[in-house]
Amino acid sequence: MSSTTDLATTTDLATLDELVTHRAPFLIGVRHHSPAVAAVVPALLAAAEPEVVLIELPEELGEWLPHLADPGLVAPVALSGADREGGGLAFYPFADFSPELAAIRWAHQAGVEVRTCDLPLSRHGSGYRQRQAQATPLSDALRDKATGRGGDDLWDRLVEAAAPGQTPEAVRRAALYVGWAMRADGTVDPFDTRREAWMRQVIAETDGRRCAAVIGSYHAAGLLRGAEISQEPASARETITSLVPYTFAMLDERSGYPAGIRDPEWQQAVLSAAGDPAEVEAAAANVIVRICSRVRELGHPAGPAEAREALRLAVDLARLRGLPAPGRSEVVEAMQTVLTHAEPLGRGRVVAKAAGDVLVGRRTGGLAPGTPRSGLAPSVEALLTQLRLPGPSDRDPADLRLDPLRSERDARREVTLHRLALLGVPYGEPTATTGVGGADALTTRWRATWTPATAATLPVAGLWGPTLPLAAAGRLRARRADRDGHTARDVVTDLADAARCGLDELLADVLADAAIVLPATATLPDLLAALDQLDRLRAGHSPGVTGDPVPPDLARELETAAVAQLDGLAGSQSPADARSLVELGQRHDAHGTGLRLGAALRGLTDHGAPLIAGAAGATRVLLGLLPPQDLGERAASLVDTASSTSGRDTLRGFLTGVLAAAEPLLETPEALTPLLDRVATLTDRQFLDRLPALRAAFATVGPTPRQRITAVVEQHTGARIDTAHDPVLLARWIRAEQAALAIVGAHGLQPGRQAAPTPAEPEAAPQQGDITPTTRWRLVLGSRDEQTDGASRRYAAALDELYGGGSGEGADRHGVGAGRGTPFPSAREWSIELGELFGERVREEVLAAAVESGRVEAALHLDPDAVRPSVELLRDVLSLAGGLPEATLARLRPLVARLVRELAAQLAVRLRPALTGIQLPVPSRRPGGGLDLHRTVRANLATARRGADGRVQVLPDKPVFRTRARRTSDWRLVLVVDVSGSMEASTVWSALTAAVFAGIPSLTTHFLAFSTEVIDLTEHVADPLALLVEVQVGGGTDIAGALRHARTLVTVPERTMVVVVSDFEEGGPIGPLLAQVKELVTAGVTVLGCASLDDTGTARYSAAIAGGLVAAGMPVAALSPLELARWVGEKVRG
Amino acid sequence: MSRQVDPAEDAYRDELAFLAAYDDGRKPPGWLLTPRAAVTFIMGSDPLTLPTPVDGLPARLAISQKFVGERALVERAVITLAGERGLLLVGEPGTAKSMLSELLAAAVSGTSQLVVQGTAGTTEDQLRYGWNYALLLAEGPSPRALVPSPVFTAMRGGGVVRVEEITRCLPEVQDALVSILSDRRIAVPELSGTDDATVHAAPGFTVIATANLRDRGVSEMSAALKRRFNFEAVGPIGDLTAEIALVRRQATTALDRVNAPFAIDDVVLEALVTAFRDLRAGTSVEGWAVERPSTVMSTAEAVSVATSLGLANAYFAGDRDPLSLLPGHLLGVVRKDDPADAARLLAYWDGAVRRRAESGTHTWRRLWDLRDVLDH
Repeated sequence: MSSTTDLATTTDLATLDELVTHRAPFLIGVRHHSPAVAAVVPALLAAAEPEVVLIELPEELGEWLPHLADPGLVAPVALSGADREGGGLAFYPFADFSPELAAIRWAHQAGVEVRTCDLPLSRHGSGYRQRQAQATPLSDALRDKATGRGGDDLWDRLVEAAAPGQTPEAVRRAALYVGWAMRADGTVDPFDTRREAWMRQVIAETDGRRCAAVIGSYHAAGLLRGAEISQEPASARETITSLVPYTFAMLDERSGYPAGIRDPEWQQAVLSAAGDPAEVEAAAANVIVRICSRVRELGHPAGPAEAREALRLAVDLARLRGLPAPGRSEVVEAMQTVLTHAEPLGRGRVVAKAAGDVLVGRRTGGLAPGTPRSGLAPSVEALLTQLRLPGPSDRDPADLRLDPLRSERDARREVTLHRLALLGVPYGEPTATTGVGGADALTTRWRATWTPATAATLPVAGLWGPTLPLAAAGRLRARRADRDGHTARDVVTDLADAARCGLDELLADVLADAAIVLPATATLPDLLAALDQLDRLRAGHSPGVTGDPVPPDLARELETAAVAQLDGLAGSQSPADARSLVELGQRHDAHGTGLRLGAALRGLTDHGAPLIAGAAGATRVLLGLLPPQDLGERAASLVDTASSTSGRDTLRGFLTGVLAAAEPLLETPEALTPLLDRVATLTDRQFLDRLPALRAAFATVGPTPRQRITAVVEQHTGARIDTAHDPVLLARWIRAEQAALAIVGAHGLQPGRQAAPTPAEPEAAPQQGDITPTTRWRLVLGSRDEQTDGASRRYAAALDELYGGGSGEGADRHGVGAGRGTPFPSAREWSIELGELFGERVREEVLAAAVESGRVEAALHLDPDAVRPSVELLRDVLSLAGGLPEATLARLRPLVARLVRELAAQLAVRLRPALTGIQLPVPSRRPGGGLDLHRTVRANLATARRGADGRVQVLPDKPVFRTRARRTSDWRLVLVVDVSGSMEASTVWSALTAAVFAGIPSLTTHFLAFSTEVIDLTEHVADPLALLVEVQVGGGTDIAGALRHARTLVTVPERTMVVVVSDFEEGGPIGPLLAQVKELVTAGVTVLGCASLDDTGTARYSAAIAGGLVAAGMPVAALSPLELARWVGEKVRG
Repeated sequence: MSRQVDPAEDAYRDELAFLAAYDDGRKPPGWLLTPRAAVTFIMGSDPLTLPTPVDGLPARLAISQKFVGERALVERAVITLAGERGLLLVGEPGTAKSMLSELLAAAVSGTSQLVVQGTAGTTEDQLRYGWNYALLLAEGPSPRALVPSPVFTAMRGGGVVRVEEITRCLPEVQDALVSILSDRRIAVPELSGTDDATVHAAPGFTVIATANLRDRGVSEMSAALKRRFNFEAVGPIGDLTAEIALVRRQATTALDRVNAPFAIDDVVLEALVTAFRDLRAGTSVEGWAVERPSTVMSTAEAVSVATSLGLANAYFAGDRDPLSLLPGHLLGVVRKDDPADAARLLAYWDGAVRRRAESGTHTWRRLWDLRDVLDH
């Protein structure tokens, strides 16, 4: 222990001299990768003539030294040691520029003994931890004097960059000085103290033979004095060591592998230069020229002029900084300054990629022939035996039921199976289990078999690491490094894999990524998925993960990010989004509602689409931001106003949204009371008009929560809705049914078209009609009930045909709905029945809803001539058309044709005014261009005068300039329309709008439909019918790819508009997308993103990605076709 | 006559003269200082002693630090100019690009006065040459009738010309620079046949341009022009204390002009600058994620808020404490063009401000209590 304190008090220059002149041992301070030191190590050792060379490697790795020294070995290779479970890892990648490898090779050649001198792995204990960041006054002062740039790497500046042209001894001295400076800056870690004690002991054991120690320069001072006996207890930990080939790609620090260095290919070049400044400069020239040529290959200009300037800059910069030759930092700085044009997204990425390709390189190492087998395969075989899982000797598959949370061994087995799966080794197959109540299952089932394929793939997977945990971590790390930036979905997947495989270290990395990537790009569902995963980690449901790795603030951050996503939900039509919204609200309930959430919810309630407005309202009630009565009143008022088709759509949407929060909301029944009252007081006709909408809303609620709603209703109406049936009662009901039928007939509800309500009575006295509140609720809720009387049962049956028993929790348990009669034999009968019961308008709505839910035959019963044209209906019919046989399609054609015709005509009438005058030039008064001499003289005759010499002089008071000729050539409009996911109203609107644009003579309109592929439908653009039939919906979203294609259509950037219609839920990483946008903007193309193109002006889109696009220069807005036409008109008119 | 702002070569006349005498190493042609001395002029240094005394100059002088930023950046900029290549400084608004370009021009050629201030109305005349039309009409084209642009003058004299806000000029106007930077001469076809038909650049001529990354509605530079420049991205100030000091210094200067003391607490300034930095960087000082508003949160904006606080304190002394005005000012800075930015400020309050308040700092607790100002 004394050594550290001694050193701290004797940090004087004498120590420095002592380090340099020390001879027992002769000290060579190194870093694991250092071309400067590696180049001089042979000369230093040759001069010192040691009898023993000590290398800073753990004792266990000593057995590999002969194989490392073997001339047949090609660097890079990696030496590693770990215990069987993967703990206590020591990892030493070696390249030609590793001083240790240079020393080992020299010793082998000179026939000098090599020994390891670092603490054996088996004695590491749990002592190692990352060096703490602490104040470094000495290093700071040195840095200040040497370079003046804070944050510079001292070693790089003082050893590497300064080395060319120096003597080997000078390099050694510089290396020792830097190590000493770093050591003098802080207290020495106890673990390092233990290692140094061991090193001293090894030195003592050389018994006075001349010896040289190649050790980390930090440790050099630790070897000067101190006890020579290490008190390390021996332990019986079993260590697996291995020597495997390595690659430069993995050696590069940015690959995420430990103990790497930046830009190995550059380091290799510096090593080859062997300390000659001219050679280093030549290497810099070589690298710069290659990067420029790579940039050209990637399609960007970078010529010899730029290469020359970059080299000039690098060399001059080195001179300014007093260096003999440009170092890595100068080369990189010069490349950045000259080539990237300060565009981190567009050109910057290209240059970075080119630089990566050239500076990292593709070198792969290889072992010398005769090196023993080591690595993954033997260690996995041993592990399987230990866990009693099927190994190479077992032929039969084993069926396993694992309970990882209770049994230690099961946990290890589970993790092992997951790790093998991650490595792509065919071994274990999970068989499905579902937990109680849809929750996560706590036990898992597997079927594991050792097959020849297992044996064949294990050595391949061995490239990732020598033991299973390391290999799994390596595999995941490589997967992450291969990506061109992580998408939110990638991160969620990685998170799940890292948690399942118990990769603690990587889990921390992924969680760190999650903190960066998810808030910036994730959509709401992704965020909620990630939050679920975090909850699971918190709860300790991931075997193999030690402790709680989740940073305390991460969940809060993700929740905050999710709140930022809410604005993007405003236009959503999906009940899943409504449920996400409610779930998010409940999450926030736990720690108090933020200001932002409150404001966002208020905005959504006021301006969102009905569905989201309802969900937001319900969430506000749950969070106590809105009195429950207010929500109830709003719902009830929507019931009142639902007298038109659009009103009923609004009612349906709003209620669906509110009911997304059904379960928690039932705890405050006040929210439902006004609705209950209103439904009870409607007249029969009014009620029946609204019934399909109400039923549709309640159908989204699962039967189990619906039971609870039923209970609330029962409590409110005071009648049992759901009773067991009784034969005696049943008979009476049948009689009552007859009577009821008669009464229904008397009120005009008899089958037949003349079914108009008797004028005065029901309107004047909006009491209950003949359908009792109880029955009404049965109809709305679709309760399975015998009491429903005859007429009502017909209504129920007609609606059950469409809505059935609903969906959601418990749906499979409570089969059919209220009608429970035989299903209608054909859509035709059903359609007629609907017409009779509800009237023509409502029939159409119900049929449209049927089309929406995928019932093709319903569409065939819509009368092409009578139907009210709407984009929604067209959308629904079109979305069905994809899967239809030609014969059926032919019958649908007239309907689609009429819808398209009518809608296109309507739209054209509205858009045309916005596009008129598109060709008229607007005069500009801006002076510019040349002087118009003739006109100037003419305009200034008044100020002309005769000078003394008799010449006429014109004083041009008002000079006239020639304005530039107006551009008269055409504009080009490229509509890039997202057709992934589903047929959206936006798609239909885009096609219709494109058709209108196609009719403008000075505008060339292109139509690109894209999912993961891009289809150019420009030839159909004038004919929306053909266009819409051509569109194939589905697939992922690759906006970047679509934009890449759009870019090929650009000939005159200044007169090209690219309009992207998408929800911006990009499937790939966001980087390339932003780069494409940047490219377009840089080229001068006018770009616009439409989060939606429809009449509502609200949209559902990824707010995070849209934000990124706005920053990259693409404005994003939810537009109506009219607004788009206005925008286009403005741009073209200039 | 007093001026609102002195140009760099006047404000630092002594330092320039001192450095010219101090370092007599090799200078690029046409330069006033050696490259090393130019870096020292901008980044400052400890007191330096002249090797041999010079009349009218102090023997020892400490060079003040004028640019708060990366030294490596300044080194690269100086080396770029030493190679007579065009230098383009890009960055967000308010990152002292123009100041840096002025300092560089003063250090290199002794004057920062040759400047073209780019606007949408800038014409080619301002980059090449124009005519005195009266003379032109009266006498025909002659060197006397020619009105040189700053670029023209710099070429003849071998100096540094600055083009401010180059991306605000229309693309066809910018393109006038392409041939100037590659051919290093301007042809005057009107004077063809005379010696003045071509103006050649004297050694030392080069261009420093500045451009904003964030301002929309500007004209992107053509690729041809970009290839003729070396780019340096000037970032915001990296260090909190340096930024606070800068804000204080500049706000104090602004209040000096109206003879008022700047009496804002360091605590308030720290909160102000911290909020600006958090919103600018997208991460708080503690490493928490912060949603970035689309508005630029530049140091210059922070200075203007600090100045407003100072003025409010000076003219309405004792009315309200400056801290209580801070949220309103922040909202004013943030809510410029995107209404969503106001929501992002709310999120900042929900996140960083609240957490700091919870951890018990008095200032932040106060700011959290003032949250109602933000949400109407």
